[in-house]
Amino acid sequence: MSRFVAMVRRELRSVTQEKTIVLAVVIQLLVASFSSVIVTGLMAFYDPDSIGQTTRMTVTVGLVDHSGGPLAGILRDARLKVKQLPDAESAEAAFHAGQVDAVAFLPEESGGVVNMKLMLPELDSKATVITMVLKEPLKRYETFLRGQNGVEMQYASLRARADSSYEFLYSLILPMLMFFPALLAGSIVIDTISEELENKTLDTLRSAPVSLNQILGAKVCAAVVTVLVQCSAWTLLLRLNNLRIENLGLVLILSLAVGTMVSIGAAAASLYFKDRERAQFAYSIVLVVAVGLSYLVQPSPFSLMAGLATGSHVTGVVDVSLYLLPLVLLGAAFFHWSERLLTARTAG
Amino acid sequence: MFSNSTMRNILTISKREVTRLRTRFRGRSRVLILVGMILAGLLSYFVSQQGFVLSRQFYTVGVGPGVPIVADARFVALAVDGASGHALLEQGVIDVYLDGSEVAWRKDERRSRCAAGALRQYLETQELTRIANEYDMDRAFPLRVEVHHVEVPEGHGAAAHPDISVWDLLDSGPESAGAGETATSSGIASSTVLKQLDSLESSGRRLPEFKAEFVSDEEVIIPSLMDPPVPLAQVLLAFFYVVPIFFISIFFTSSFMEEKVNRKLVVLLSTPVTPFQIIVGKMLPYIVYSLVSITVITLLLGGHIPLALAIFVPVTLFIFSIYLMVALLYRTFKDQTFFSLLAVSVITVYLVFPSMFSGITDISHVSPLHLAIQMYKGEAFGLSEYLLSTTPMYLVFGVGLFVGTRVFNEEYLMGFRPLCQKLADALNLTINRSHLHLSVFLLGLFVIPAVFMVQLASIALAFNLPMPQALGAVLVVSVIVEEIAKSAGIAVLLQNGVVRSTRQVLTLSVVAALGFFAGEKLLLYIALKVISDTMFTAAVFGGGFLVLPLLAHCFFTSLVCLTTARFGVRRYPLSVLAGSVLHGLYNLAVVGVLS
Repeated sequence: MSRFVAMVRRELRSVTQEKTIVLAVVIQLLVASFSSVIVTGLMAFYDPDSIGQTTRMTVTVGLVDHSGGPLAGILRDARLKVKQLPDAESAEAAFHAGQVDAVAFLPEESGGVVNMKLMLPELDSKATVITMVLKEPLKRYETFLRGQNGVEMQYASLRARADSSYEFLYSLILPMLMFFPALLAGSIVIDTISEELENKTLDTLRSAPVSLNQILGAKVCAAVVTVLVQCSAWTLLLRLNNLRIENLGLVLILSLAVGTMVSIGAAAASLYFKDRERAQFAYSIVLVVAVGLSYLVQPSPFSLMAGLATGSHVTGVVDVSLYLLPLVLLGAAFFHWSERLLTARTAG
Repeated sequence: MFSNSTMRNILTISKREVTRLRTRFRGRSRVLILVGMILAGLLSYFVSQQGFVLSRQFYTVGVGPGVPIVADARFVALAVDGASGHALLEQGVIDVYLDGSEVAWRKDERRSRCAAGALRQYLETQELTRIANEYDMDRAFPLRVEVHHVEVPEGHGAAAHPDISVWDLLDSGPESAGAGETATSSGIASSTVLKQLDSLESSGRRLPEFKAEFVSDEEVIIPSLMDPPVPLAQVLLAFFYVVPIFFISIFFTSSFMEEKVNRKLVVLLSTPVTPFQIIVGKMLPYIVYSLVSITVITLLLGGHIPLALAIFVPVTLFIFSIYLMVALLYRTFKDQTFFSLLAVSVITVYLVFPSMFSGITDISHVSPLHLAIQMYKGEAFGLSEYLLSTTPMYLVFGVGLFVGTRVFNEEYLMGFRPLCQKLADALNLTINRSHLHLSVFLLGLFVIPAVFMVQLASIALAFNLPMPQALGAVLVVSVIVEEIAKSAGIAVLLQNGVVRSTRQVLTLSVVAALGFFAGEKLLLYIALKVISDTMFTAAVFGGGFLVLPLLAHCFFTSLVCLTTARFGVRRYPLSVLAGSVLHGLYNLAVVGVLS
């Protein structure tokens, strides 16, 4: 046992020694920050209020309203500035003088469809912001017009607001952060095994009184330790960023289980192909297939992790243990046939 | 361009590379890989057909008696009877409770609030579909918003009278919006309603049509059917085009690694083949594979092939030059993995990050993907826009090739030295001793894309911090990066004892600063040319705005290099720090003066 621990430590040392693990952490930080930028960007689209807050842009709408409807009030309710203008000429002048950001023109009420005209600046970015800010009040006005037509929309007054960033954080960012170390672990396993195979040092190792499975087990173990360290660091960082993770233990177990499965698969690939190039390529392809397949599983690792972390009542210990089952099977099969994998002849 | 023998040598090496790859994958491993690839393709097709929903079964909704079940992938629906619904909600078993027209949720819990919000979105869509089916179009969707984009002259107020009146652009003037006209325009609008309804019904169940995802160009907006311009398309586009190239690049770097390990490169170098020919020859097959994949993807997406090639050739060259750096720098297998991953993330950030803001802010012009997006939107783009985003790519490729050929020798490739030293060695080998000044000048100029990438990455990283700190961090990082970029070459020369005298250091510092300054301003000039011309350009490039920054650049670089010369290269980090502090203070002063 102490020999095994010594081997694991040797592997870990070789990972940390070259400081390349620092690169790995930088990569993950980049990926995460990059995603959070995207989330913030997305939030701005889904949630016009937040765009108003972040840009600190007050949109002033010049309104030429010949209909006598409630649009001005609706716009003001949505915290927009409204400048009532008597006619098109003055609206045009106000627009060009920069007094209003957009001009809305409502024709006289004719009972049927209301054809509103909206004048926006050419500049893409500004026009997008204005359109997004105008969306909700315009929808409310539309509901009002429907009411006049005798069309009732149910749930129109529901005040719940969708929060895409919440879903994004838990169903994409968190699982991505927690599964990325698994991907790295697989690569590390391939690197260490194929390095020993290509440099023929594995034979030297095997002349020492250790079995092949012990060597492989130590390599997989070391990789799983890196997963544990990284995942713990992530949960800590997320906690500091005020992201609550429920069922922390189960979340960690799940990421460890996935990490171990990926590492064992990677070890099998490198034993079979015996060179890094083919092993890495096969590994990447199998990973893509596995991610695709896992999406078809119910619950998929991503949604299971999201469920666990948000404290859903539907997911729990049972689902996580279901993930341990294939892990045990895979591990048993791998260590049972490791010798044969190593001696398998691969062309090339 | 090349002589016959050069061409022949390159082709020979390419052929050898193809043979190598073919012998790698034959027999059982070829079958295995092929099966894997086909499976991956089939699966992604299947998933995209079935509908990809990110937060599948994320919330649990309790559905009261007599209410149609919630058929949304985000929800797990439980049928509950009226009495137990509220109790289950209180216990947290369900996140939201829907009973007839009533929706109940726990207001004090984020998960439950978000569930209610998601449910509202779903119900709204259901309602829209219902009224679209029950009533006629004009009653169900009574508001049509015709959007007109009107150019606003720069510097409001100073607006001269435009040649065309705004209301001339609106097809019917406001006074003439009579009944007759309404009928025709509502006829057009109805088809728009139908189209937008279609996309509403399909969204959520499966990925919408690729093109439909782009920022809506609809001239007529139906407020309740308006989709937010989700930048999904940009991500997809990047994914389609760039991911195959990443896969192909595995072979490129592996090929280098393998030949390093079994010392074949040394043998190659002893033949009359030049490093340039080896690098280009090894790269060529993979570039060709990438171009094939780009063509196939463009065909599948229905794009314009020559245009797509014009956009993605520089991208491919850029990616391969980065991978060339990876191949030259790494020392062990683990290095290779981490460097490749770093390369993947840097490339993705550089390409995807700016293009996410396509049509929102002008930073998107930096990425060639923006051009591709415009191509798929059917929008035209000018030569200057093309040059702005692709010139850095071509530049990086050129510099990469040049550096690659300069460092391509046995000692450098086989040596195992610390990473920083390895980078310094590369710089040292790249600088041409007989044209010292020119080399240092060009180094300052060409390092700009790298500086820019680091700064972009730092912006993304800083997003994790609260706003004032984030801004501060970005400013600090960019100052340090700039100072390193300008002085690194000279520090390396000092380390190798090429320059010694104070006068030499001073002139080189000025030259390096000049090069950097020229590159920076050139980039800014192109950027401003593309984004907005006239006044701003004149202001930035007017006399006073050029002289002072140039002097400042020269001063800081000289400071860093002179202190390095005085206190030794080992203290280089401290020198950079000192220069950066002064540079930072100067920046603050300028900002303070301007505001």
